[in-house]
Amino acid sequence: MALDSALIFIIDLAAIFSIYAIINLSLNLEFGYGGIPNFGKVLAVGAGAFVAASIPGRIFASMMGLEGDYIQNNLILLADINVWLADNVVIGFVVMGFTLILAAIVGGALGAATSYPALRLRGDYLAITLLAFGESIRVIGNNFPPLVGGTLGVQVPDPLAFVPDEMRFPVASLLLLCMLIVAYVYCEFTIRSPLGRSLRAVRDNEMAAETLGKDVGRVRMKTIMVSSALAAIAGALYAMYVGSTIAIGFDRASWTFWPFLMILIGGLANNKGVLVGTLLFVALRKLITFFKDSLDFVPFDVVWLDLLLLGGILLAVLLFRPRGLIVEKPTHTLGYKPKERGVKRIFNLLFR
Amino acid sequence: MINPVYFDAVIFSSLLVLLSLGLTLTYLTTKVPNFAHASFATIGVYMTLIAVRVWETNPYFAIPLAFVISGLVAVALYIFILKPLAKRGATDAIKMIATLAFDMVIIACINIMADALVDAFKVKTREFTLRSYDLQFMDMPMIVIAAPLAVIAIGIALYLMLKKTKFGIAVRASTENPDLSGTVGINVNAVYGIAWWIAGGLAGVAGALMALWFLGDPNLGPLLIPSIFAASIAGGFTNIFGAIIGGMLVGMAEILGTRFLASELGSWLIAYRPLIPLIIIAVTLMFAPQGISGVNWSKVRSKIWR
Repeated sequence: MALDSALIFIIDLAAIFSIYAIINLSLNLEFGYGGIPNFGKVLAVGAGAFVAASIPGRIFASMMGLEGDYIQNNLILLADINVWLADNVVIGFVVMGFTLILAAIVGGALGAATSYPALRLRGDYLAITLLAFGESIRVIGNNFPPLVGGTLGVQVPDPLAFVPDEMRFPVASLLLLCMLIVAYVYCEFTIRSPLGRSLRAVRDNEMAAETLGKDVGRVRMKTIMVSSALAAIAGALYAMYVGSTIAIGFDRASWTFWPFLMILIGGLANNKGVLVGTLLFVALRKLITFFKDSLDFVPFDVVWLDLLLLGGILLAVLLFRPRGLIVEKPTHTLGYKPKERGVKRIFNLLFR
Repeated sequence: MINPVYFDAVIFSSLLVLLSLGLTLTYLTTKVPNFAHASFATIGVYMTLIAVRVWETNPYFAIPLAFVISGLVAVALYIFILKPLAKRGATDAIKMIATLAFDMVIIACINIMADALVDAFKVKTREFTLRSYDLQFMDMPMIVIAAPLAVIAIGIALYLMLKKTKFGIAVRASTENPDLSGTVGINVNAVYGIAWWIAGGLAGVAGALMALWFLGDPNLGPLLIPSIFAASIAGGFTNIFGAIIGGMLVGMAEILGTRFLASELGSWLIAYRPLIPLIIIAVTLMFAPQGISGVNWSKVRSKIWR
């Protein structure tokens, strides 16, 4: 069964969209609802990808009793591992699930550690600190080969090795979409939880929230941890989907700047807007790369057109449509509402 | 013969002083950390490249040019983006994102220019070095003298300007209280615009000097950003002269500190040099969030000598 290029385009779009949407939901939780300017999103995403690249492969190798240095013989080892994984589907999924949990823990811990110095200071100090730490992930990954193979990168085991080759990417996209739905429901629940409400209170008026007994630092720390964990899961999923990880891939533009662009286009503090913005942006970027060859009239490399266009779009959005496509709904005071239960409640979360 | 590491340290510290001076100046005016600041320096780097390789003149002619062009780019950021945003009451976070977006645009433009230079003049525009084009002074590269001299000259000039001239008083007044300065007849917008021009220009000068010693590349900005912010934060971020101390501290710590640790613990450490500014940021924010200039030294002294 051969897939034509349009279908491949849509399948890849779905996967990248899902991964970015999870990252953006987590960023929206921080920035949209909490007003925390996390310019170091790349740190959590990269941490997740690094966990996925360095841990499960070693576990599989020791399970199979493979010899040899994991980084140096990476390609050979990974070929064996993927053949083995095709027969041991359940173990594969269990280890990969464990990897996702580990990625979440590492991401959350890193988020807490890097935001700790500036948590109680003004917002711009927090932004600078997070940005500076975000730049460090690439440096560490590049200079410490046992992690992700330094400048050469490493392969990531593929838990979907049992799926026939041409169906691998459609299945992966489907699974990623399922993960996105889980993340979406989780975020919707979180913003309706006490944490979500105190988060908005802290964003809108820090002093008022403090006088009402909210520990601003704690609320921020909790949010950064939750959101970094989520972003780390997305990073791990990305590494698994792509099948390899390289440190220089985790730059500020792709994993901090673009998520900000997407949630600002879609509208802050609004998860539906985040999905719309992500879809628009990911589709635009994919179209630019897809039609790269037919963009002859551009007198320079299309890579720079990408940066130029996206930077320009963001500036235009900030200046002319600062509230994004879909505007945040005002918070109403609590009134009587009949309780919704079970399936209906989830339905309402998703579609209303 | 002096060990070149000391040259590295002197030049790098001078650059950081110039860059964090400008960053602090812009922060004082618009109260927003400008993440595009390092890319103003990259523009300066390319001015030197053009002066040396395309026009084939003395590299130091690039300095005034870099001052003007980087300054104009900085003014453009202020007038066309930050001022309208401030007028509409955008939050600080939104302004910071705007500077990030502007940074992307500058980086893209520099890359496009770098490609165009390759096409037009067949010069190397990525990971290039211009050390061999520097002049000699007493058997040393001129830049080793020129960089600290530039810092001293600019430091004195800024001090005199801020403390002794009418314009300097206007600058200090409008950073202190823009509304009040407006009512006594100071054109706050013009003052801020000129402050941005000076800040961008200083970054451009830093870049033009840097090109003669360090590797030049379109993507220098993201590499320099943590060091610049570390210098500014260590200096207190609201004190122009604190920025001088901060820049020296971070520059020396990054180069001599790495060198010292590497000779003690092994050369693998050199690769982790970019972590030093991060540690400085974290330590400063935890123990002295006001920076060096904000520490009450007499209190510290009395605590130690008690």
